[in-house]
Amino acid sequence: MENNRAVLLKRVQICDFVLEETALFLDTHPENKEALEYYQKYMELMNKAKEEYTQKYGPLMRTDYDGGPVWTWATTAWPWEKEAQE
Amino acid sequence: MWKYDKKLQYPVKIARPDAAAAKVILTQFGGPDGELAASQRYLAQRYAAPYNEVKGVLTDIGTEELAHIEMICAIVYQLTRNLTPEEIKKQGFDSYFVDHTTGLYPSSAAGVPFTAAYFQSKGDVITDLTEDLAAEQKARSTYDNILRLVDDPDVRDPIKFLREREIVHFQRFGEALRLTQDRLDSKNFYAFNPAFDPKVRRK
Repeated sequence: MENNRAVLLKRVQICDFVLEETALFLDTHPENKEALEYYQKYMELMNKAKEEYTQKYGPLMRTDYDGGPVWTWATTAWPWEKEAQE
Repeated sequence: MWKYDKKLQYPVKIARPDAAAAKVILTQFGGPDGELAASQRYLAQRYAAPYNEVKGVLTDIGTEELAHIEMICAIVYQLTRNLTPEEIKKQGFDSYFVDHTTGLYPSSAAGVPFTAAYFQSKGDVITDLTEDLAAEQKARSTYDNILRLVDDPDVRDPIKFLREREIVHFQRFGEALRLTQDRLDSKNFYAFNPAFDPKVRRK
């Protein structure tokens, strides 16, 4: 069974990919109403998913720093390590 | 993964085109000690780095080098705008122009195309970090040489910024090497390769 970390990360990855794909479409269709609304909706889902993940498991970007006493950016697992997927 | 920020790391705003200056600055895009080689060197090396701090330094500096490629390209682009064929000939830019017009192509000042042979990824953290320290100094020397050849303050200002970044990166790589050696046997740093021989890996 997948643990909570993997589930939350997957949610971020899904939102991120939807935003990537929609942004590419919008680059060549900048006034497409449906795509603009879709992008907006996933931006909100993305922000929620990122907040949930980073509060529990640490930064996805350096600017996710939480104000705590330790800079965990470099010292926690890096994404190409198997441990980061678990 | 990566995200793009639609801004330069430091402003580039050049009033006067100067193809001769563009030709020497281009070497910091695709030359032997340029920003393209730097970014690919660090971003390739980080997978074999055995310690998280070193992975962090290689990732963050490698990423900053991508932003430096963009600054160099912005400088060359602005220096080669609105030139006449006569100016291109007079300023010695014709040998580049004939192959690339004013498009950005990663090559050295002498026109040698970029090659991955400009850097190594050895899979040995001491070897890799020692190369990285040398690379930052070589880039710093190149920026010093550019500053010897270019007078325009509009061009010198962003070049001076990039030169300073080489010095900061050298400092951080030195610290990464020290953190690495602190985890190894001080009687013989080379007894094991911590990226390959697993028993000393998480000491």
